[in-house]
Order: sequence, then C-alpha cells, then structure tokens
Amino acid sequence: MNILTKRIIKFGIFALLLFSPELFAHGERALEPFIRMRTIQWYDIQWSKNTVDVNQEIVLSGRFHVAEDWPNAVVKPDSAFLNLAIPTPVLVRTATYINGAIVNNSMALKLGGDYDFKLVLKGRVPGRYHIHPMMNLRDIGVIVGPGMWIDVQGAAADFKNPVTTLAGETVDLETYGTANGIMWHLVWLAIAAIWLLWWIRRPLFIPRHKQTLAGDEDALITSLDRKVGGFGIIGTLMLITASFVQADQKYPESIPLQTGRTEIEPLPMKHDVVVKTKRATYRVVQRSLQLTMEVTNKSDKPVELGELNSATLRFFNPTLQRFDSNYPKELAVEKGLDVQPNSPIAPGTTTTLTINATDVAWHNQKLASITKDTDSNFGAMLFFYDNAGERYLASITAPVIPDFGTN
Amino acid sequence: MVSQPTTISRAAEIVRISRIFDFLLLVPILLVIIGTYHLSMILTVGDWDFWLDWKDRQWWPIVTPLMGITFPAAIQYGLWKHLRLPIGATVCTVCLLLGMAITRWFAYHLWTNYPINLVLPATLIPGALLLDFVLLTSRSFFVTAILGGMLFGAVFYPANWAIFAPFHQPVEYNSSLMTLADVSGYSYIRPGVPEYLRIIERGVLRTYDTYATPLSAFCAAVLAVPLYGLWSYIGKLFSTTRFIDKF
Repeated sequence: MNILTKRIIKFGIFALLLFSPELFAHGERALEPFIRMRTIQWYDIQWSKNTVDVNQEIVLSGRFHVAEDWPNAVVKPDSAFLNLAIPTPVLVRTATYINGAIVNNSMALKLGGDYDFKLVLKGRVPGRYHIHPMMNLRDIGVIVGPGMWIDVQGAAADFKNPVTTLAGETVDLETYGTANGIMWHLVWLAIAAIWLLWWIRRPLFIPRHKQTLAGDEDALITSLDRKVGGFGIIGTLMLITASFVQADQKYPESIPLQTGRTEIEPLPMKHDVVVKTKRATYRVVQRSLQLTMEVTNKSDKPVELGELNSATLRFFNPTLQRFDSNYPKELAVEKGLDVQPNSPIAPGTTTTLTINATDVAWHNQKLASITKDTDSNFGAMLFFYDNAGERYLASITAPVIPDFGTN
Repeated sequence: MVSQPTTISRAAEIVRISRIFDFLLLVPILLVIIGTYHLSMILTVGDWDFWLDWKDRQWWPIVTPLMGITFPAAIQYGLWKHLRLPIGATVCTVCLLLGMAITRWFAYHLWTNYPINLVLPATLIPGALLLDFVLLTSRSFFVTAILGGMLFGAVFYPANWAIFAPFHQPVEYNSSLMTLADVSGYSYIRPGVPEYLRIIERGVLRTYDTYATPLSAFCAAVLAVPLYGLWSYIGKLFSTTRFIDKF
C-alpha cells in the first residue's frame, strides 16, 4: 500500500467521522416510531448548565408523560429505570428524584401519568459529550430523550467519589478495594504459577506422550509429586478458610446486595383541555402531519395551541412565540405548526382545529416511517396556553393514514 | 572432512528440539484457551462476573463455578489422559484470569472509564488447584468428579469473599440502605445495564432465613459433579491423538 493510498484511507475515515453525526448518536432513532411516540413522552428537559468542572455538580431535570395509548406490541412499563445515554461514566450519578422522592432502584410507571424528575450528576472525565435522559424499559429497550452537549473541564485525576459507611469510614469509590482485590488475585496467581512451573520445567509434550503410549505413564508421576498434591489440597483449603475468616472478621457487619422497587404516584395533573383526534394524515411528499381534532376547553380562560411534541420533535405555533431556543436545533421546528383557526378557544366551548406539523425533521428523525409500522397509531403531546401563560397538556393518539401523493 | 555427531550430542540436540517444540506449542495453546474460555465465560456468566453489584449471594456462587468447570474438566482430561499432566484446570483458570485482566483493564477501565473495582473479576484458581490436586493424588476421573467437582463448586464463594467482602459494607445513601457495591453500580452510569436487570436473590429459595450462601455453595457443589463428568467426556471426544500416534 503506497503513501497516497494510506492518506486517502485516513482522510476518508476522518471525513466519515466529521460529516456523520449519526456516529456520535446513541441510537435514539433506532426504535420504531410508534414506540418512541407512544411510550415515554419527554418534555421540559433542562440542564442546569452546559459546562461543569470535575467534582462539580450539574442537574438534569424535566418531565415525562407515560402515554395512555401504550402500544399493544410492547409489554407494560412494570420495570423502568431512569438513566442517561452517556458515552461511558464521564459523569457520575449522585441522586435521582422522581416527583420529589429519592429513587435508587427501578420503578413501575402508570399509564397516563406525568412524572417530574431530577438527576444530580458530578463531573468526572474531562471532555465534550452528548448526553440524553433515557428510560430503560424492561423487555422493550430504551426511550431516549433530547440530547445536549455538555463540557466537563478539569483533570480526571482530581476526581473523588467519597462515601461514608455506617461504621463511619469514608472511602473513595474510585479506588476502594482495588489493591486488596488485586493482591488476592496475585496470591492465587503466584500459587498457580508455582504449580504450573513444577510441571512445565520437565519435558512436556512429545516425551510424555510417547511414554504414555508405551503404557509407562505411572512413571511420569513421582511419589514427591503425589505428596505435593496431598499438601496442595490441605494448603489450598487452609488458605481459603484463613482468607474467608480474616475477611469475615474484618467486615463483621457486611450485608447482602440490596434490591427492590420504588413506588411513585404520578403527579396530580388537571386536564382542562380535552382533545379528540378525528383524522390524522401524513403527507409523504410534503413531510407534513395533518390533524383534525375536536378541542374542548374546560378551563375558565381562553386557550391557544402553542406546540406539538412527538417523540421529542417539537413544532411551534409561531403566533404564540413559545419557541425554546435552548432546545436541540435538530428537534425544534420554530415555525412548523400551522393552526386553523388560529384563534383562542373560549372557555366551555368545543372547537374543531386543523393543524399541520410540517418539516423535513419527520424524515430526519426517522418518524415518517410510522406509516410502515405494524402499529401505525401515532402519539403526541399538545401544549395549550392561556393569556396568562399557564400551560395545559393533552396527550393525543390516532391512526395515521399515509398520503403518498399519488392521487 | 565432516565430523559425525556423537551419540551424546545427538541426544542433547533431541532434548533441546523437544523443549523448543514444547514452548512453540504451549504459546498458541495458551492463547486459544485464553480466547475460548474467556469468551465462553462472557457468554454464559456475563454480567455476574463483569459487575461488582451483580455478585449476589444466591445466583453468582452457582452460575460462575458451574459455567467455570467446563473448560477445566475438558482440558484436564486431555492433559492427564495423554500426557499425565495434572495441570489442566489450573492452566485454564490462569488463562481465564489473564484474559479477564486484559479486558477489564483495557476495555473497561482505560477505554470506557469504569473504575477497576467495579469490574474486578472473581477467581476460579483455588477450585482449579483443588481439582488438579485431587486428580493427581487419586489418579481417577471418577474420584475427581465426585470430590474435585464438589470442592470446585463449594469453595468458589469463600475463596472470593476476601476480594469482595469490603464492598458489602453497609452505607446510608440517599436515605436508603445500600452496600458499597450497590452505590458503585448506581454512581457509575451504565446505559445498557439498568438496575432491574440485576438478578439479586430472585427466586424461591426463601425458606432458609439468611443461609442463602451455604445453600448456593452446596447446590453448586452437587451440580458441579455431573457437569465435570459431562465436560470430561467432551474433553475425551476432542482430545483424540489418533492423527498423530501413527507418526
């Protein structure tokens, strides 16, 4: 391979890395659209800052709604674990709060429930990382929330992870027990090495095999070998017993690994705006989702539709100017939501709205393929606002009829 | 004039070539055992051996020795039957430890940033030594299966307690009782290993109060006996020398 070929290959790999954002992603678009749209619906995701020093805390907070129309094809969320899609533990987790309660374990989620969460993290390994909130769902996979770039600054060697035991000893989880573990591995490795050298120092394969073939294999084992074997049994058992007793005496209050489930009730939510979807059409050529729906305003104030959020992809009604400029750009469509009629819905009235959520993001986020799923019901959250800025949430679902533009 | 080699120098030459052959053969054999045994343990024991907070007192002491006795039994058969070498089990477990050490250090610690204590492997060497010692002293696969197999299964937990006991100290963490191992598993984020995947004393072995570990060790000891027999037989099938004996 000449120098030119090598350079072309190197440049090709570099260019591939540089121009392929998917290579840095966490598989957030890998699950089928109907699962991403109708299981965990993330909203209000915020990082307390986007730069953190080693040992300094950073908080990821937000909410998620568990869709009422949970797909029949996947199991119900009886075991869920709030996690992070993160490139290795560059941050460590110090606390998880869900609806204000500490959660160290997995939990069951209730369909239709809204949950508020807060993850307290600490900078560990310097670098720039793309990090998402993520929900692990047993027998389903992961539902990934919107990702943000976080910078961790400082020196990795400065990181400490102190924990105090009930006996009052403060240990650093980064290194605790490592030297003891390696020491015991080396002890057993040394004994094994002596045993192997005892045999390997003698001729191995050809002479021993020839002697075995000749029926003289017993001469290959001396009486000293057998004595060593006998002492080996006793010595090994004694060392195992001694090491066990020593560890047991040193750590008399040891307990088994802890496990369990945490029960958390969903947030009490008022659903003053009720939405019934009449028809949903996805126009493939225009990359536009058209919804016709009946909206009943049960609140005492007029409300307007400000946003549609489906699988973290957000379409904003430009009239209300609710665009979130801190949200990942590839997931936010500033003027993507057209609402007709685009006027407030009076209290106590029911209005039929036709909305169009239009953008190439449907395709880029691999949500347009909902029309090719086995379960082609889509799911989304609608955010209505009154003139005082109060928000009203509605979760919607409907079968999507594709319009391929062939008529 | 060409001098003819004497009988003594020819014998010395044969011994020297034989030793070179020994080591030329030994290196690839060890590399194959490192690769295959390690892969087998990754596929069968997997997370139980990878993670500190998976090493519970009920399943870990059963799963690991039962999956770990496979290669030692097979290799031990071949080395004893054809070479009268009682080192098969020890060779396997030393190779396994080397493979694990390389993986844990380079892949888990240096590459993916996990602290080495979170991925400390367990040791199977004590049980393997006993397996080899029993074979040497008894010179019987039957006795080795019964006595050696039982010891291999039974000593796994006590032999590893010296390594893992420090991580079982209790901690009050975020208002919950946890072990240091639990806290470590919670702190160092693993996107693909959610907490609910851990199989911590899950099952019906509930009627013996806190004596889960001795029962698990006993269970491992009993089950290791037939597994030793099965894998010795597999070793017999795969360690034939009929292709080289004609030479």
